[in-house]
Amino acid sequence: MRWLRRYKPFARAAAIDMMAYRFNIITWAIVTVFEVACMVFLWLAVYQSSEGRMDSSINGFTYKEMIVYVVLTTIFTFIAFNDDTLWLINRDVREGTIGNFVIKPISYRGKFIASNVGAFLMMSLVFGLPLYAASLATLIGIGYLPVISAWDFIAHFLLFLVASVLACLLNGAISYIFGILCFYTTAAWGLNALKTTVVSFLSGTLLPIAFFPPVFRDIVSYMPFAGMSQNPVLILMMKYDYLECAKVILIALGWLVLLELIGKLLFNHAIKLVTVQGG
Amino acid sequence: MRYVKLYFTCIKRSMLSRLEYKKDAIISILSFLISNACALCSIYFILQAIPTLKGYTPAEVGFFYGFSMLPIALDHLFSDEFWLVAYRRVQLGDMDRHFLRPVPVIFQMFAETFQPDGFGEIIVGVTMIVVCGLNLQVSVTFGAVFVLIIGAIFGAVIITSFKVAFSSLAFIFKRSGPLLQIVYNFTVYAKYPLAIYPQVVRFILIFILPFGLFISLPVDTLLYGTYNPYLLSLIIVGVAIAFFTLATLVWTLCARRYESTGS
Repeated sequence: MRWLRRYKPFARAAAIDMMAYRFNIITWAIVTVFEVACMVFLWLAVYQSSEGRMDSSINGFTYKEMIVYVVLTTIFTFIAFNDDTLWLINRDVREGTIGNFVIKPISYRGKFIASNVGAFLMMSLVFGLPLYAASLATLIGIGYLPVISAWDFIAHFLLFLVASVLACLLNGAISYIFGILCFYTTAAWGLNALKTTVVSFLSGTLLPIAFFPPVFRDIVSYMPFAGMSQNPVLILMMKYDYLECAKVILIALGWLVLLELIGKLLFNHAIKLVTVQGG
Repeated sequence: MRYVKLYFTCIKRSMLSRLEYKKDAIISILSFLISNACALCSIYFILQAIPTLKGYTPAEVGFFYGFSMLPIALDHLFSDEFWLVAYRRVQLGDMDRHFLRPVPVIFQMFAETFQPDGFGEIIVGVTMIVVCGLNLQVSVTFGAVFVLIIGAIFGAVIITSFKVAFSSLAFIFKRSGPLLQIVYNFTVYAKYPLAIYPQVVRFILIFILPFGLFISLPVDTLLYGTYNPYLLSLIIVGVAIAFFTLATLVWTLCARRYESTGS
């Protein structure tokens, strides 16, 4: 427990940092409302154009489920994916501040995990709570998200919380791996864009993985990305039974361990390339 | 003429500094290619599930999507510096040197960066247009091609005008990046035919944020011959000139409020 205390300041700092960017969050809200509206128009047109009209189910999603999926995914990615790990690593490499961590009894990776968790907790409390409460109440209220039994909903909600924490950590691990690539190239901007794109496509943020062609779909469902956004959201929507919930959570956990290992190996290789000129 | 020469001199310098980091440039272009490919795959997967999207066949939607990239990419090539003006440069007060030179500041902003990342989008866009265009069952007329070219070029001018006008607000508010981001993000609406939107949104996309005017209407002209291509071209050029004039006016007025940090 004592060594854990070392990382508390990082978690706290990240949480406070998050709040300092309220202006960015207002921008996000406005941009997002219009983007979600665009997606709703697109899906409305898609379902109106389908053979069964508005009642049809496309790849296991009805129109109502699709709207719920779009809304919840948007909130989810906002709460769970707010790490600047990649940018911070890039800065540390370029400015040589990475040297400070090599000589301190603090794990470089541990610092980022602490920051991710801190930011995640703050976002969940300040924005997650009201956003999820308002959207779930509305979606259930207008009948878009049917709830059969309250207990079932609560159980899924708790599983969703577990899956969310895993999603946040998985995202942190992938950012860290992409961040380490900044040791080899200075193209942080391009790397970040690449990471964001790959994650949003393969995690089902752009489109549920069920829409992908058969073989590709099966491969993607077993990749770590599915656990980063689609699976938590589908758990919350009660589209998975308990066995499936357990399965996707275990897969995410397994990937988390594996990705941390890969990150560690990469870091050990990359750190040897660093030369810091004095200070 | 002097300005043309000056522009190329500046751009050459900007390109040279980019080439200093060859790997970076390649990764940036690659990431643009991949992100566009992902977006395209998403649309394609959706279209697999339905016969037509409000009457548009998959090939037509693909053509549409590819075409919508061109004005956005052209704008991206030439006016990337305005993002920095909106987000950082005015706030940091590092525009002093531009105000001291005997050349309009707005011209210097265009000459400051040439963003080769835009080529990634142009490659994807043109590929889409060619591949989907060959699958279209339409008779291509000279007028339709003409209006598409006009739409791509002058559409870029309209997008750039928005960038110029909203980034210049930074001279008053110090930082206008988020506001510019909000306006710019409406380009997502340009990726799909106007037919999928409700009446109100269509009206906005033609008369207020005219992405529909220079993307959707020219494509409809090619596919269905809906509009007179020459009249439409004339309107697009007229709107582009009006927007750009207005944007430079806003820029000139706002730039007077620039304050140096004095350091």
